[in-house]
Amino acid sequence: MAEADYAIELRDISKSFGSVAANKNINLNLKKGEILALLGENGSGKTTLMNMLSGIYTPDSGSIFIDGEEVVISSPDDAGKHGIGMVHQHFKLVERFTAADNIWIGKKDSGFFLKKNRYKEIEDIASRFGFDIEPAKKVANMSVSEKQTLEIVKVLCYGAKVIILDEPTAVLTIQETQKLFDVCRRMKESGHSIIIITHKLNEVMEISDRVAVLRKGEYVGTVETSATNEMELTELMVGRKVDLKINRSVMEKTKPLLEVRDLCVNSDEGSLAVDNMSFYIRGGEILGVAGIAGSGQKELCEAVVGLRKAKSGKIIHKGQNVIGKNPKEISALGIAMSFIPEDRLGMGLAPSLSVADNIILKDYSDTKGPLVDRKRARKEASDIVKMLDIVTPSVDTPVRRLSGGNVQKVLLGREIKSDPNVLITAYPVRGLDINSSYMIYDILNEQKQKGVGVLFIGEDLDVMIALCDKIMVMCHGKLQGVVHASKTSKEELGLMMTGAISLADVGGKKAGIAKDSAFTEEEWEEAADLGDIREGDS
Amino acid sequence: MNRFHLIRRSDVSIWKKLLYYLIGIVFSLLLGGVFLKSLGINPLRYYRDMATIGLIGNYYPAKSVEGLLKLFVPLLITSLALSLSFKMRFWNIGGEGEFITGAIFAAIVAFKLGDSLPGPVVILLMCIAAFISAGVIGFLTAHLRVRFNTNETLVTLMINYIMLYIIKYIGETKADWNFFLRTDSERPMFAKFPDAAIMKGIKIGSFNLLYSVIIALLIAVVVYIYLRSTKHGYEVAVVGDSVNTAKYSGINVYFITVRTVFLSAAMIGLAGAFTAASSGTISTDITNNVGWTGVIVAWLSKLSTPVICIVSLLISVLQYGCQAASASYSQIDHNFADLMQGIFLFAILAADFAVNFKVVRTGSKKDA
Repeated sequence: MAEADYAIELRDISKSFGSVAANKNINLNLKKGEILALLGENGSGKTTLMNMLSGIYTPDSGSIFIDGEEVVISSPDDAGKHGIGMVHQHFKLVERFTAADNIWIGKKDSGFFLKKNRYKEIEDIASRFGFDIEPAKKVANMSVSEKQTLEIVKVLCYGAKVIILDEPTAVLTIQETQKLFDVCRRMKESGHSIIIITHKLNEVMEISDRVAVLRKGEYVGTVETSATNEMELTELMVGRKVDLKINRSVMEKTKPLLEVRDLCVNSDEGSLAVDNMSFYIRGGEILGVAGIAGSGQKELCEAVVGLRKAKSGKIIHKGQNVIGKNPKEISALGIAMSFIPEDRLGMGLAPSLSVADNIILKDYSDTKGPLVDRKRARKEASDIVKMLDIVTPSVDTPVRRLSGGNVQKVLLGREIKSDPNVLITAYPVRGLDINSSYMIYDILNEQKQKGVGVLFIGEDLDVMIALCDKIMVMCHGKLQGVVHASKTSKEELGLMMTGAISLADVGGKKAGIAKDSAFTEEEWEEAADLGDIREGDS
Repeated sequence: MNRFHLIRRSDVSIWKKLLYYLIGIVFSLLLGGVFLKSLGINPLRYYRDMATIGLIGNYYPAKSVEGLLKLFVPLLITSLALSLSFKMRFWNIGGEGEFITGAIFAAIVAFKLGDSLPGPVVILLMCIAAFISAGVIGFLTAHLRVRFNTNETLVTLMINYIMLYIIKYIGETKADWNFFLRTDSERPMFAKFPDAAIMKGIKIGSFNLLYSVIIALLIAVVVYIYLRSTKHGYEVAVVGDSVNTAKYSGINVYFITVRTVFLSAAMIGLAGAFTAASSGTISTDITNNVGWTGVIVAWLSKLSTPVICIVSLLISVLQYGCQAASASYSQIDHNFADLMQGIFLFAILAADFAVNFKVVRTGSKKDA
């Protein structure tokens, strides 16, 4: 038997949570020294499967073979002993420690005392694989991509022969992604096997040797990457043909709906998160916001809808100053926001409440009397469920039981229901599979055709170029420029995102200022500044 | 490879659940039976006396029911009140302290105004005083949590000790200002309330149905509707589920938290006033531990109002029945009642665990 050719072999692995089967009889194998992409829609059980390999979950049934031998992995410790290391989406690092110390605390043979040579040792490993890492740097001062590199170095130091990367590119710029792929190739050359979980088909095509596809917890099959294409993979993943085109309709220009000038907003830590930004949105256009995660997107959104106090700056909506208005009043003007945070449920939805209760979250108090109008809630909820094709047992099901895509549709559905004229949407397809993503793009396009101004804060540059009319780029809270989506490239956007080039002040003309503003320059001068209002009562 | 792990289950039928709880109860009865037998008591007779709360062979059965209800009313109101703040994930474990606060303020009203005003007015004022005073304690703990992010579990816990020592101080200090104590006794003893300050009831034969029982049941209905159907209840659920989401949707988190905890603490204070008014005095152990037992009731009931009513009745029967039954045997005292209660609760919590999880052998080929 050629069994020992496989670094890992899974046979008939099943795992269920309550009545939900996350994995059903999965068979999967990983050859030595290959890069295997694990592809599947949300809720198809990719992460569950990998968590079983890394010892976080234990399979209900089935067996795992490593190097041809059957093993039981019942803790992350076991996984480490068998040479399996996983880099999670959320990094598990001690912020206050240096890179080297983060590796040392988890190392088995490191002894009781910190040794002087620990920096050197880490540097040796890093240079062997061509990692760009400073062993003495504190994690708190690292960028996302540096932290990720550190995580990879960490599992290598612990002797991992099989490395699992869970959606590693979700937080990286295109340049950083290239760097990561170089590292992966070098690891492969030195005999390591890699499993990479991702949604992005172009990356799958670029990096992997073979692709394993899961669908709804079941194993669909494994194909050689060189013998397939994106269309085929999508079909395997979704189970039917999917149209992968985003139509960008051209709308007639209207006056600016929302104009923001010289906005400065602080982050929770008190540092400047949004630094003197100016921009505007017209009706019937989608304005994309590109930037590395944490460049001030969240603070920008919150300031516009009144959830966060601005330090200074002016916001004009339809020629009306929104200064001093609270979130409820701003929402009544027709400015709606749907923000999908990293954990998806943290902001905007109450996870234990039913779909219907979540739908009425913003207008439950509009009815007369002391009682909540649940009849209306159910009706509106079932309308939205029907309209957006949300998969849920009933409108009384708690939102947390829904899968990621459906959760996001509930949130977006509620914002659209309020019939907004400005729709701010941040990461609406975060972690969504292809099918649901395109569904969301369609919804946004429909809104645009209705004349709504859409602010789209996104991650995937390919999508932004195809979907948005204009894209503004942020870097460390600063506006790097606004470009027409049809006239830009991923490379240009990537460079702007890292701050390498700035188009904010080309030829003395400041970016983000509308020529046909609703206010004249004098009125702008006179308009009250957001920083002038005193600390509100939360 | 003899290792085990847990799997959460969700598809348990109601009958299976009841079966698990039944096993738990039978187990605790057997364990208690062993204790009883070793003390030379017939367990069956003891359990019969317990389940019938000493009604059989009793010349005054109405008194037994009244005694049971005196345990039931404070426990029910406290558990309901706690469910209100637990729903908001505000861990108010200061039930004891809030209860004592209510009782002390009710007593102040009783001693100061009991002789000059008509009965119903005095009782009403006692209730109002207890409601507001305990509510203010709740308000303060909520304010600290929302404004300064203090840990409400610690703060409410400390309230218990503060109030316990205050009532002990009042009860043990002979002084001119201390109108709580009897003047005709050398030893410090709490005085009896004036007649007007003692709660009356509706006479049904020899049975005296206190108004507090009726009000407690009304409160149960109100809390049920409040949490289930009102906007207030909706807000409580949202704030409890996700503070960020509540802020995002324009809900005033500070106001909702303060309002809910005020109500929760005030209701417990009211229970304190009822207990003081129905027994006609206060004492240092007036709470009968409802602040703690209420936490268990609320949790066992998974915060469901109808279940809280049933569970607090069952626990009252257990407590009162054990007391009544142990009164007829010289070998045991009321401490045995506490022991039995502990065994029961532990067995039921274990059954609860069995309902929610199953143990599976790691690496087995097929799970059952």
